[in-house]
Amino acid sequence: MTDRFGLLWRPHHAADLLAQLDEIDVLEVIADDWLGRSRSEIRALRTLAAQVPVRLHGVGMGLASTEPVAQTRLDAFARLVGVVEPEAWSEHLAFVRGGGVEIGHLAAPSRRPETIDGTVANLRRAERTVGSRPLVENVATLVDPPASTMDEAEWTSAILDATGCRLLLDLHNLHANCVNFGVGAEEFVGRVGAASVAEVHLAGGRWIGPESDRRLLDDHLHDVPDAVFGALRALGAASPGPVTVILERDDAWPGVVPLLRQLDRARSALALGRATVEVPA
Amino acid sequence: MTIESFLARVYTDASLRAAFLADPVGVARRAGLPEAFARHLAHVDRVGFEMQAESFAAKRGGGRRRPS
Repeated sequence: MTDRFGLLWRPHHAADLLAQLDEIDVLEVIADDWLGRSRSEIRALRTLAAQVPVRLHGVGMGLASTEPVAQTRLDAFARLVGVVEPEAWSEHLAFVRGGGVEIGHLAAPSRRPETIDGTVANLRRAERTVGSRPLVENVATLVDPPASTMDEAEWTSAILDATGCRLLLDLHNLHANCVNFGVGAEEFVGRVGAASVAEVHLAGGRWIGPESDRRLLDDHLHDVPDAVFGALRALGAASPGPVTVILERDDAWPGVVPLLRQLDRARSALALGRATVEVPA
Repeated sequence: MTIESFLARVYTDASLRAAFLADPVGVARRAGLPEAFARHLAHVDRVGFEMQAESFAAKRGGGRRRPS
């Protein structure tokens, strides 16, 4: 079993990242940053993909919606995938717009049968258009999604079961939802199935709001907290197959070396979890 | 009106959001949302909704959607 560890590609820190490629197994690239770019610019991304495995990560489809994703958006994504030939692509279980109104970020859907149906339809169309099935990522939320009739594990499991998609498990998103709404990370993984997890995201965040009702915001501006490394260790004990672990850092860039040290902690945590699994005699 | 269309408007329109947080079921009904959706809004997480809306506004102000 070979787990792999990598970083989110940040164009402003390209030189820093390229200098350390030997310590990075894989890079994740935000697909939306490249949609609509010129052929020559996209060829540069393809050149990067020839040096290190690249995964394309979408943030703007808004798949988790009763509204169909615009075909033009799917077509653009498919063209990018066709040129770059990433080893995998992923998107979020979130909506980002409704009725033409852009929210500006990833909104957790109401967890209801209607949104399961809409999400499944969008995922099937995305798979047909792009030519491969995406990994789907759980999102962090500050609000208990309005008008939900089921919890996150039940809703997510229904999507995975209906589509055959595997999970990109963002452990900081899960941690944030757990501390904000009082559910357990291990319970979530147990219910969706550790075998469904193909990729993991790690990140950090900060507390916001009044002391009496504060919430953890996933902001990608802080180091990975101990609880997330603990959850990665638990995943290592439960997961039967290899996973790819990506550390996401957007800004407040500490330099690539401190990020690589966090990746080292991730390697150790996952290995510790793997080591707790008994080998059959 | 879809669920997402309604929520997108409430997240991004401060005056509509104030009305919604004061009377979530009534605002949803007047917007024409299905009763099965509207009645589940009675116990909406008001503190979290406002925090989430402010977070979205900050992201829109930043001009770029972040990965998550």
